[in-house]
Amino acid sequence: MPSTAFFLKAVSVLFQYGMLLVLLAYLARFLRITAGEFRRERASLQQVQAAPHEAVLSVVEARESSGLLGRRYAFSDLLLIGRGEDCDIVIPDAYVSHHHAQITARGNQYVLEDLGSRNHTYVNGAEIDGRTYLTPGDIIRIGFVSLKFER
Amino acid sequence: MSQRISAQRMSWGLLALSFLLLAFGLGVLALRSSQTGVTQSVLQPLAYLPWVAAVAAAAMFLQAMLLHCRVSPWLLPFSFFFASVGLVEIARLKPILFIPQLRWLLIGMAAFLVVLRCGRRIVELTSYQYMLGLSCLVLLALPLLFGTEIGGSRNWLVLGPVQVQPSEFSKILLVLFLSAYLADHEEVLTSAKHRFLLFRLPPLRFIAPLLCIWGMAILMFVVARDLGSALLFFGIAVFMTYMATGSRSYVFIALLVFVAAAAVSYALFGHVRVRFDIWLNPWADPNGMAYQVVQSLFAFGSGGVWGTGFAHGHPGLIPEVHTDFIFAAIAEELGLIGSLTLLLGYAVFFLIGIRTALSGETMERILLSAGVSVVFLLQAFIIMAGVTKFLPLTGITLPFVSYGGSSMVSSYLLLGLLAVLSQRKGGHAA
Repeated sequence: MPSTAFFLKAVSVLFQYGMLLVLLAYLARFLRITAGEFRRERASLQQVQAAPHEAVLSVVEARESSGLLGRRYAFSDLLLIGRGEDCDIVIPDAYVSHHHAQITARGNQYVLEDLGSRNHTYVNGAEIDGRTYLTPGDIIRIGFVSLKFER
Repeated sequence: MSQRISAQRMSWGLLALSFLLLAFGLGVLALRSSQTGVTQSVLQPLAYLPWVAAVAAAAMFLQAMLLHCRVSPWLLPFSFFFASVGLVEIARLKPILFIPQLRWLLIGMAAFLVVLRCGRRIVELTSYQYMLGLSCLVLLALPLLFGTEIGGSRNWLVLGPVQVQPSEFSKILLVLFLSAYLADHEEVLTSAKHRFLLFRLPPLRFIAPLLCIWGMAILMFVVARDLGSALLFFGIAVFMTYMATGSRSYVFIALLVFVAAAAVSYALFGHVRVRFDIWLNPWADPNGMAYQVVQSLFAFGSGGVWGTGFAHGHPGLIPEVHTDFIFAAIAEELGLIGSLTLLLGYAVFFLIGIRTALSGETMERILLSAGVSVVFLLQAFIIMAGVTKFLPLTGITLPFVSYGGSSMVSSYLLLGLLAVLSQRKGGHAA
């Protein structure tokens, strides 16, 4: 039957073009994904330029004797916390290491890093492992002192 | 929020497209066998359809799970695009290997699920960096001691019914080791003190492990005749060192070592000389030594822009077309459009991996996800460059596309690592 053979041939050709169309659709999707990624990248870069680096740490909990309660520390790119006299925030507390933790600006965000302290650094009650990004409103606990991170 | 939902929808679309590609390809093949009247074809729809259905179901289940755990939605659809292009070509070129490849794909997805389940533990493994480095070297040395030679490379282990290529798995350990080691020694490596000629280097004991890996790669290259893996290992080490330190000295030193090693092995070993001479002038011996490369070039030429059409070319003339040379078959039958789509696929896949790396929280996680992305990109680049005679040919598989169990499983293990690292805050542990 020639008509069946013709029909099969036609379907086969349709499938061939179908594969080509699928590949073209993929090509279009890939370009769209790339464009989306770059747009997001550029948006995050512009955000950096718009917002000046500024963050505030306020002491929300501390022993009365330390004299830290209620204090606020504004900083822009680097903040060192510890018992040592050269720190930006000096916490006179035996549970705090000399250089206990530091906060550094990275891109548009701030990173809290534990500097290998003996009694660890906690964010929102959880011990941090190495480094972590801070989000506004996070509570950092070092020794008996709790600090609130704000932008 | 809406952005995330649209990304989710698009990722399901990508997955559906790859099933469509598979359906069209298999349809063409089924119709062709009914037209030519070859009834005893190896490719029986009743035999393979259950497997295809199982793969599709597993893929949809995994994708739903990934979206639920807030893992990057793109990873699995991309791997499926590569895999379905590979599957249709394997069904067309070596029908007898089609069902085994589907089976390997299922095993690969199972491995992916396992990595996802105990992802955090695997990232914790990086604390035992020297153990990782040592086991990587042991795994590399195994085929040199107990290996069998298949296809001119002594890099196979025969374990009962299955043949395993340990170098495929040791590259995972290499990436884990390098990310742990470089993250730990980042500062020592960047604050270089010793000046040596134009380069600034840290004390020798800090770069000794890196030199050790480079040395092993060259040793493999010499003894096992496995040029592809050697190049891949060397490339991974160079890329990751550069990404961790940002110092160009290491790259220059690595290139110098590489050129020196290449010159020495050109002078000493026949098989290296043959590969190099073929690359310089394949037309000196087109029917002998250079047969594979020359046939591959013909395949690219006859494919043209739109290709000869699926199942209408003659890529079967190329030896090893279903593994190392699958890109030549794709280029012949699907043309420039098909090969460009595949190339762009790998590039965008790399971009997604790098975006994952940039949002990483610790140096280790950043290096690990960047390293995994580099493995895929570099592996695809090495074999595509070899097949098109851009670089001397070195046998290695095209990730997710080529036929090969070890390659498929190890690619899915790496993909699993990338998925774990891309998991966003607030996602449930899988």
